[in-house]
Amino acid sequence: MQYEIEVGGRTRHVTVARTGGTLAVTLDGRTWHVDAARIDAHTLSLVVDKVWRKSYDVVTTSDAATGQLTVLVGETPVAVAMNGRRQSARKDGGAAVSGPQRVVAPMPGKVVRVLVQAGDAVRARQPLVVVEAMKMENELRAGRDGTVAHIHAQEGASVEAGALLVVIQ
Amino acid sequence: MCRPGADTLVRPYKYNGSALVKKILIANRGEIAVRVIRACREMDISPVAVYSECDRPAMHVRLADEAYPIGPSAPRDSYLRIDRIVDAALKAGADGVHPGYGFLAENEAFAAAVRDAGLIFIGPTPAAIETMGSKTEARRAAERAGVPVVPGTNDPIAADVPDANIAAAADRIGYPLLVKAVAGGGGKGMRTVVDRADLASAVRAARSEASAAFGDAAIYLERRLTRPRHIEVQLLGDAGGAVLPFVERECSIQRRHQKVVEETPSPAVSPSVRRAITSAAAAVAKGVGYTNAGTIEFLLDEDGRFYFLEMNTRLQVEHPITEMVTGVDLVQWQIRIARGETLTLDPDALLAPRGHAIECRIYAEDPDNNFLPSPGRIAALRTPGGPGIRDDSGATEGLDVPIFYDPMISKLVAWADDRPRAIARMRRALGEYRVAGIKTTIPFFTWLLAQPEFVDAAVHTTYLDEVLKARSGRPFVEPTLEVQEIAAIAAAVQAALSPAPVAPHNGASTVNTAFHWKSQARIEGLRQA
Repeated sequence: MQYEIEVGGRTRHVTVARTGGTLAVTLDGRTWHVDAARIDAHTLSLVVDKVWRKSYDVVTTSDAATGQLTVLVGETPVAVAMNGRRQSARKDGGAAVSGPQRVVAPMPGKVVRVLVQAGDAVRARQPLVVVEAMKMENELRAGRDGTVAHIHAQEGASVEAGALLVVIQ
Repeated sequence: MCRPGADTLVRPYKYNGSALVKKILIANRGEIAVRVIRACREMDISPVAVYSECDRPAMHVRLADEAYPIGPSAPRDSYLRIDRIVDAALKAGADGVHPGYGFLAENEAFAAAVRDAGLIFIGPTPAAIETMGSKTEARRAAERAGVPVVPGTNDPIAADVPDANIAAAADRIGYPLLVKAVAGGGGKGMRTVVDRADLASAVRAARSEASAAFGDAAIYLERRLTRPRHIEVQLLGDAGGAVLPFVERECSIQRRHQKVVEETPSPAVSPSVRRAITSAAAAVAKGVGYTNAGTIEFLLDEDGRFYFLEMNTRLQVEHPITEMVTGVDLVQWQIRIARGETLTLDPDALLAPRGHAIECRIYAEDPDNNFLPSPGRIAALRTPGGPGIRDDSGATEGLDVPIFYDPMISKLVAWADDRPRAIARMRRALGEYRVAGIKTTIPFFTWLLAQPEFVDAAVHTTYLDEVLKARSGRPFVEPTLEVQEIAAIAAAVQAALSPAPVAPHNGASTVNTAFHWKSQARIEGLRQA
């Protein structure tokens, strides 16, 4: 089986083939033998035959809002997208490098303040909207420099997770 | 669960008090409700839970002997409903009510309603809650006990006081200063003013926040000390007037006035400061006839002088670290005091800590995204264990972290025989902790505990805000190339091995289930291609 996997800003080509009891995993042309034990629906124990037989504990989950996978390798979370799915998720709301940036509510809550107006020039990390959720006021910030094209957020309105709040051009 | 009826379990507990307590209702949720349930079980007391709509599958409901619904998920419709909670306690035939912390824990009307219903409130008297709950009253109580307070206005400044009078008071105190809500807490209704010109707008902002959060627009002014440390003293007081202080806790690691890491003993407190600050705390509590568990907070300046800050008339989130170094179960003592027992603890032992303990508050927040809350379903959970580790949690695998409440999911505590070993142990435990499906502050703690300022204990209450600002959003954990490759391999192996790589749990959330079906369909579609 062949997969295109985007991780750390690079697309990796990975194939997985069964060889007896273990798996032969080829990553961008290099092949390792991987002994995979399934612990539960999300958790795998991998023993990868490199110079040493290295043991990794990995937990894979998908983010309901973006469709992205998060792979916990040990204690380190890694964002992963399979077969280009991350790119489509980016169009929906992530911090794309070019094209309009859509700022969405990361959780359900209430819009407390809208800090910008349509036409405003904004800088990366500038606060745009304040959403109250879980007893805390949370600032949602611009992912990059740009101009506010549309404002969909209304002060006082309740919003669902994924609701479009601001578009930056 | 197969368990004999509560009445067959309850045996007379050996005690020297006057009231028999066989059943306790816990007016709270999450990890603190679980903590109180554990204390009840160890004392052969039957624990009773209350729950809001979204908390039906929560851990505290499952661990209790009885559970009563108290309304919709929003706190004001359930965990803040005094009438419904008292009704549940009466219906259950409980003898006592434990408020936990947060919600109604510092609400004198709740304590009074419990008492008026003929039940025991496991906490201080309504009068003590009222006196120490007002920050200006509390300052006066400290001054009466001869304990220094941070220079500031001693009377609340009501909403109709003209700006000119406030400015004159501010000039007497000196800048920089803090504008604080009289009824405040948790950093709400608080503003720092460095420049005289910003005073009026800061007062307006603090008033509007205070009146929205606490229904009281009264404020007061307090000088802002430079680089102070937050030192606090845990106390227990009994009905006979005895007040015993415990070795101090340090909580200087704060983000926007909220504690995130606590430790005891404080590396900045000498034996002579310890004697002085603990007896000052006891004097303030004695002066107001304080009973049950409480904590007096101080600021310690760079010259070793300390100032009374406020009193919390309840159990604290960080109580486990005190339990770890003194061996005293504070929640059990709350119950024992409430049923009339006298304190039989050795006062000297409470001030002679054994080893060192550190607590990290594990939040469902995304540290790499400005600590935004990260509610959702906990897909997988593995808690650390082994020597010296205590995880006080209310979370389980498959449970949703609701959006309605404080997003703290666990308090991770490490104990060791000294501070460097406690830090090493905490780092080890953070490495074992696995929470998947939601973002947590675990990567942030891994970073923080490696910072030289933390390791050297060269911290103060604004240290964390300053370094976070300087980092300006850089991720706390950057995956190495090796880790990225393993993640890619894992994702591929997971997809190859399993027809449903992210299988739905048996819970009730249709949103997530729908999503998992969608992702499964998507992956199966890809496999056909």
